[in-house]
Amino acid sequence: MSEFEGRGRGGRSGDKDKDDKKGGAKRTFFRRRRLCKFCVEKIDYIGYRDVKLLAPFIPERGKIQPRRISGVCATHQRALQVAIKRARQIALVPYVTD
Amino acid sequence: MSNVRQYELVYIVPPETTEEALADLHTQIAAVTDRFGATFEKTENWGRRKLAYEIAGHREGVYVLEVINGPAAMTAELDRRLRVFDIVIRHMVVRVDEQLQIADRARTHRKESMASRRVRRGLPPEPTEQERNRRLEDSDELDGPEMGFRGGDR
Repeated sequence: MSEFEGRGRGGRSGDKDKDDKKGGAKRTFFRRRRLCKFCVEKIDYIGYRDVKLLAPFIPERGKIQPRRISGVCATHQRALQVAIKRARQIALVPYVTD
Repeated sequence: MSNVRQYELVYIVPPETTEEALADLHTQIAAVTDRFGATFEKTENWGRRKLAYEIAGHREGVYVLEVINGPAAMTAELDRRLRVFDIVIRHMVVRVDEQLQIADRARTHRKESMASRRVRRGLPPEPTEQERNRRLEDSDELDGPEMGFRGGDR
């Protein structure tokens, strides 16, 4: 969070940092390959009534978590998206929270 | 009634609604569905729940779920009628049979392919109790780091 803010303040210096990195520094951090929760747990039906199932994919702000972050596969993200939107309609899940 | 489909109807009424009013509402809905020759699969009252956002001044509501088997024309009429009732603060009709069917097919397909794979390896088609327990432990291990995505993984 704080890292992001720091980058946002000075646009130019941020760019410079990037250039420096391009030279030598290797990308040393290793990110574990994320797995689709629905594939792993073999959940076939993503229902809008199951708030417990949907909740991990709705961050604090109330938006739908992008799949590049959650690691959900495309098929399940589509189903998840529909389920969340339906759940919103009947006030099980918020549209926005601030 | 040519094509019978399965629908889920969810509606929300204010928490101060009396039992009779709720029953009355149910009979009125039943009157509409009867006209289309539809049948109730089940009715579920979820009771009082907090709403995720305020609707018409209400912060809480009583949720009722009805699973109805009926024709497509029924949904439009249901929707129209539910909009008229004052005590219904929110409602939604969703077709579910297709998705449930797809899920069912996926489940049976997975089961069959697993059985055939096991038979090819010379194992009994169904996993034994011991194997099942081991698999449960494995999946727990998988779960741990996977749930860590929430902490600003950008």
